[in-house]
Amino acid sequence: MKMKFAIPTVFLTSALFLSLAAFAATGSKDAPKETGSTSTSAAPATQDENFHLEGEKRYRANCGRCHAAPPKFPPRMMATIVRHMRVRATITDQDMHLILRYMTE
Amino acid sequence: MRIARAGLFSFVFMLSLALQAQQDTDGIKPIPILTGYTSYFTRVTGGQYQDAPSVTPLLLLPVGDKWLLEARGSYSDTFSKDALGNYNGTNSYGLAYAQIDYIANRYVTLVGGRFITPFNIYGERLAPSWIRALQTSTLTSPVTSGSGLGGMVRGGFSLNDSVNFSYATYFSSNNTNHIVATDRSTGGRIGFFLPHQRLEIGGSFQQGLQADRAHSSGAYLEWQPNRNPLTIRSEFVRSSGTKGTGYWVESVYRLSQIHSLRRLELAGRGQQFIAADNLSAATIKKLGALGKNIQQADGGLNYYLRSDVRASATFGRQYVVGKDANLWVVGLTYRFVMPMWPQGSAQ
Repeated sequence: MKMKFAIPTVFLTSALFLSLAAFAATGSKDAPKETGSTSTSAAPATQDENFHLEGEKRYRANCGRCHAAPPKFPPRMMATIVRHMRVRATITDQDMHLILRYMTE
Repeated sequence: MRIARAGLFSFVFMLSLALQAQQDTDGIKPIPILTGYTSYFTRVTGGQYQDAPSVTPLLLLPVGDKWLLEARGSYSDTFSKDALGNYNGTNSYGLAYAQIDYIANRYVTLVGGRFITPFNIYGERLAPSWIRALQTSTLTSPVTSGSGLGGMVRGGFSLNDSVNFSYATYFSSNNTNHIVATDRSTGGRIGFFLPHQRLEIGGSFQQGLQADRAHSSGAYLEWQPNRNPLTIRSEFVRSSGTKGTGYWVESVYRLSQIHSLRRLELAGRGQQFIAADNLSAATIKKLGALGKNIQQADGGLNYYLRSDVRASATFGRQYVVGKDANLWVVGLTYRFVMPMWPQGSAQ
């Protein structure tokens, strides 16, 4: 076993290298998005935007950890899927409601 | 002090958002659905061909606001060539889990029935073909992937704005039915997820309560950097039952930054299993692959034809003393979701 730790080390190094390269390539992509909203009711629009941003964040952090992003399904199907994932992936109650709200917007 | 106040404010703000989201979504009543996946894979293991179509349905049946019945079965046919060049098929079927979940409160979910044992993350979260990044299994999966029959307590909740805590602990009884066989054992898993860093780390243990009373311990890590479409996962397992130690490190990179290649995903994995030196010949034969020192390197591509249809190709090279082998897997997976109740309105 001469190559005892060689293969995992190569993969770990490759992964870190890829991470650094991608970090350098996308450094400016996290700038805040312009909403372009012209709504006259600013407060509800801001709250909706908060829900959207927070829901999307939780969705990406929780769902995207294991699998590719699924499409949005009808609300009542989505409620079943999110309940299933709450148990399967032990996502928090808060995350479950924010993700469900985001996925049924 | 200012940082602490800012953190507290942020936590309270997120809590209020979550409460409002709960009010907004409380009226959406879940309906029964049938989901799962079908796959067709051609596998070449050390020169031996196999074709394997399979279907893995998952039934989700919500009842009221707190209950969920879920059951996942599997059926597959495996065709391989015999010495005369004729294809022979064998079929296999199984029941991965059939459990009743009761969401008692935001901290506790009670589970009863047949369930996947919560050891690290591969068995519970990553094993299905439509999810796994590489179609060759991890060397540690025979240790970490199993089912239990009994009860489990699990849950996940926020400790603060920066840390989510998850846990699962179970007890399983012995069952000798050949389709749903389980061992008498107990164990659990805890995990800490840092949502801002998108980093999860955790540990697991398992204690057999029959035969040689084997025990296993493990640790896992999963990290998705915020700034790029990369996922790094790793598991470590030590088992006294197979007298061995194993680990794997996997990286998955989605080429979403290149428009023409945005549906393509690259994956690589290195893994190793180190068997104990003092195993008898009979034990080695019984343990199969886990009775030997193995190193394996895997690489592969996944191409998403749609969000639910994926073509995969995986190549692995296995290094075993005196018997190195190439492993090829090529195939398609299709994940399906269908309602079993009129969807109607959100109510």
